This record gives sequence, C-alpha cells and structure tokens, in this order.
Amino acid sequence: MSDTDSREQASQRTPNASTEQTDFGFQQVEKSQKASLVANVFDSVAAKYDVMNDLMSFGVHRLWKRYTIDCAGVRAGHKVLDIAGGTGDLTAKFSRLVGPTGSVTLADINLSMLKVGRDKLRDQGLVNNIDYVQADAEALPFPDNSFDVVTMAFGLRNVTEKQNALNSIYRVLKPGGRLLVLEFSKPASEHLSKIYDMYSFHILPRMGQVVANDADSYRYLAESIRMHPDQETLKGMFESAGFEQCDYTNLTGGIVALHRGYKF
Amino acid sequence: MPASSLFTASAEALINKVIALDEDSEKRLALLNGKRLTVFLDGFPWGVTLAFSSKVDILLEHHPYEDVSVHVDENTCYIKTHFDVLPRLTQTSQITQLIREGKLHLQGEPGIAQQVAALFQQLDIDWEEQLSTYTGDVPAHQIFSSASAVKAQVLAFSERLTRGLSNAITEEKDIAVGKLAVMHFNDEVDALRDDAQRFEARLRLLENSL
Ligand SMILES: C[S@@+](CC[C@H](N)C(=O)[O-])C[C@H]1O[C@@H](n2cnc3c(N)ncnc32)[C@H](O)[C@@H]1O
Repeated sequence: MSDTDSREQASQRTPNASTEQTDFGFQQVEKSQKASLVANVFDSVAAKYDVMNDLMSFGVHRLWKRYTIDCAGVRAGHKVLDIAGGTGDLTAKFSRLVGPTGSVTLADINLSMLKVGRDKLRDQGLVNNIDYVQADAEALPFPDNSFDVVTMAFGLRNVTEKQNALNSIYRVLKPGGRLLVLEFSKPASEHLSKIYDMYSFHILPRMGQVVANDADSYRYLAESIRMHPDQETLKGMFESAGFEQCDYTNLTGGIVALHRGYKF
Repeated sequence: MPASSLFTASAEALINKVIALDEDSEKRLALLNGKRLTVFLDGFPWGVTLAFSSKVDILLEHHPYEDVSVHVDENTCYIKTHFDVLPRLTQTSQITQLIREGKLHLQGEPGIAQQVAALFQQLDIDWEEQLSTYTGDVPAHQIFSSASAVKAQVLAFSERLTRGLSNAITEEKDIAVGKLAVMHFNDEVDALRDDAQRFEARLRLLENSL
C-alpha cells in the first residue's frame, strides 16, 4: 500500500472523534491504525531520510543532536538506548563515547529505517558495541533498570500513546539514569511561529516532492509537529511517568526543545 | 546553542582533518583510545572534552569543573586552568609546581594531558604540499617561505619564554624580576604581532593576485 493510499484510508475513517481516536498529523485516525500509518511514512522516507534532514533543517539538526549528546553525559562503559534511533546519528557518536566496555542499542519500530542506520554505521566502521533491535517505544523489550542513558530524537511525536512510551522508558532506565527527548516544539515568538508555519506547510512538502517525490510524508511531518505537546505539557508528562529534576531547553527559538529527566 | 555546537562541530571537523593529514598521528591517537581530556579555562562558560577513539569527538561540558571532576578514573583527566598556562603542561616537571601555585587544578590521570599535547605537537604535516593542491606550486611556495619565517620566530619566542619561566620557577626569583620578565614578554609579543601583520599583508596581496 502506498503512503497516499494509507492517508486516504485514514481520512475516510475519521467520522467522529471518540476515545479510540488519535491524531495522525491533522487527521483523526483509529488508535490501532496510527502505528502502521507512521510505519508507511518512514518506509517511504527511509532511503532519502538523511539527505532530506540536512535539506529541511539547513543542517541545523546536526547541531541540535550535538547539543543532546553534550547533555547526555555518556561515559565509557555506559549502556545507552537510542530509541526511535532511525538512521543512527546519535548512536554513531554514542558508540565511540561508550567504547568497547559499553554498548549502544539502536531501537526503532521501523525495519527500513533500522536497515539504513545499520548500513550507515557499518560503513563508518562502527560494529562492535551496537545492537539493533526492532521495538515499539510503548512496550520496550528490555528488562527493568537496563540503561544508563536513553535518548529519543524526533521520535516521540510519532508514537500513538506518548505517555506509554515515557512510562516504558522509565522502567528500562537504571536508577540514576537519564532520559533526553529531542523533539520539535512550540516556537517562543509569534513572528518565528509565522515564518515557521509558512516554511513547514508550504515549502517543506514541496521540497519533499522534489527531492523524495513524496509530498504527503513531509506534510505529515509538518502536521505531526503541530500536534505534538508543547514544552510545559511534555515536561508534565515526564513527571507523570516518574521522572525527577525534569527540565527543558529551547533550541533555535523553541522550534525544537530538549527535555531531560532523571530516574532516581 | 546552536552557536556553541557550531563551534564544537567545526573544531571537531578541523581537528580530525588535520590529524588525518599526518599518517604517523594514527599511532599516537591509538595510545589515547578510550581516554578523555576535559579542559576548563578561566573565563570560558563551558568546559571542552576531547574524547578519543578512532577519531576525536568534542563535547561541551555545561556543568562546572567541581561537579564533573568527581567522575574520575584512569581514562579521564580533568583540568581547570588559565589559557596562558596551557603550554606549560607539556613539561611534566612543571605540573606539580603549577598545582602548588594554584594555577592548575587537575583530577584523574595527568599522563592523558601530556599524550594529548604530544598528539598535536608532533603533527608533521607538509602544509606546502597540501596548499599546492589548491593554489598550484608557486603561490604555495611563496606563502610558505613567509610562513616559515613567522613559524621560526614563534618557536624561538616560545623557547625563550619557556626557558624564562623555568628559570623563574627553579631559581625562585622575586616578584620584581617577574615584572621585568612580563615587560620583556610584552615586547616580544609586540614584535611577533608585527611579523604576523606583515605576513597577513603578504597573504592578502597573494590572494588578490591569484
Ligand atoms: C524522524 S525519525 C528520527 C530518527 C533519528 N532519531 C533522527 O533523529 O534522525 C523518527 C523515527 O521514529 C520511529 N518511530 C516511530 N514510531 C515509533 C515507535 N512507536 N517506537 C519506536 N520508534 C518509532 C520511526 O520509525 C523513525 O525512524
């Protein structure tokens, strides 16, 4: 099924909002449907994902990720989980930082993204301390208290029940461990917000069309960003999951925010 | 952020590129595999960590020295000092002295700092050859004959400086002599600046003629 088909199906199934509905971009879809719709999007973008990331963000996503790595406090010997890790940008650096005595688990719900990630990391000679696991953030297949650090970059907004994902991450973190969620958020200024809306609803899908021949997926990305909880709401969700000392840092005027919380 | 991240990203790219230009540096890099040096310089808001593996990763440390330096092991070295003190760290004999003087705070394995210094000091890169791939042989040679003169000056200057400082410390000269040394230092810096400006002017001329 093509991505366009799945989106059409999604719109046909939006008669009225009920408790069993959730957002898929600006549409309402059945909760049970969202994961496969998201899977279609990432199946469709996997091959061009890295190049589109650079184009769409003018390369700034690399700096946001770098800041996340600075704040992660990863040291040699640590066990790190990079959930929704996709093509492995964070994993690559973590792999070098934890060294041979540590390990990094690159987990993603989508096999196409995992494969692109695995090939890319192997090409960089990173093989020894990385595990690849296909996993849903809402139900992580790892024992309690397994990881020193968990990161999730640009993944949470795609998850159907975000609170379930945060609870699940809390469970697998070791006491003393920290979670970092890097995600699009709400720009702090009205001006920036307007420019950003213009960019993401008018320019971004066109870029998606030209470069990846896939305007729909990039429209979904823009819409899903708007539907994602704002900074304070997400911080509250961290606290509900049990995280302590939660805070966030706005990056690039709040277009993106890095949330951080600890399990004690 | 992201200005600070842009700085570390550029520095990281540059350092790895430079290291890759010297084939022998691979051996020195291998010695540092798995080790980390974090440097806090007075007056700078963040510490900078160099993390060594098959390449050098640069991280910014947002927490103060006192907080992070508690995580020491044999693979880490934390340094807090002033910019001017950095060149003196290459001499083992000076480290204790600097610590005693309160000019250097160090936690962890001091050998790492020295290995890092060696990695960069012993870089042997044929810059003229590198440049000639972009500019052609003649301009590259012209630039480098000027650059070599400046480099020789810098080396002579730093040698004199180091010798002066070692003497000052070992002979425990009094403060008045220290002041004289500082004045002398200032004169030398002025001379060096003039040379560098002349060099820059020549570079500009060359650039315009390319
Ligand atoms: C925008 S990509 C981000 C990839 C990578 N972390 C990065 O920053 O470049 C989002 C990723 O989230 C993954 N994803 C979506 N829903 C997920 C879920 N429920 N559990 C795990 N991963 C999920 C997608 O497959 C996709 O690879």
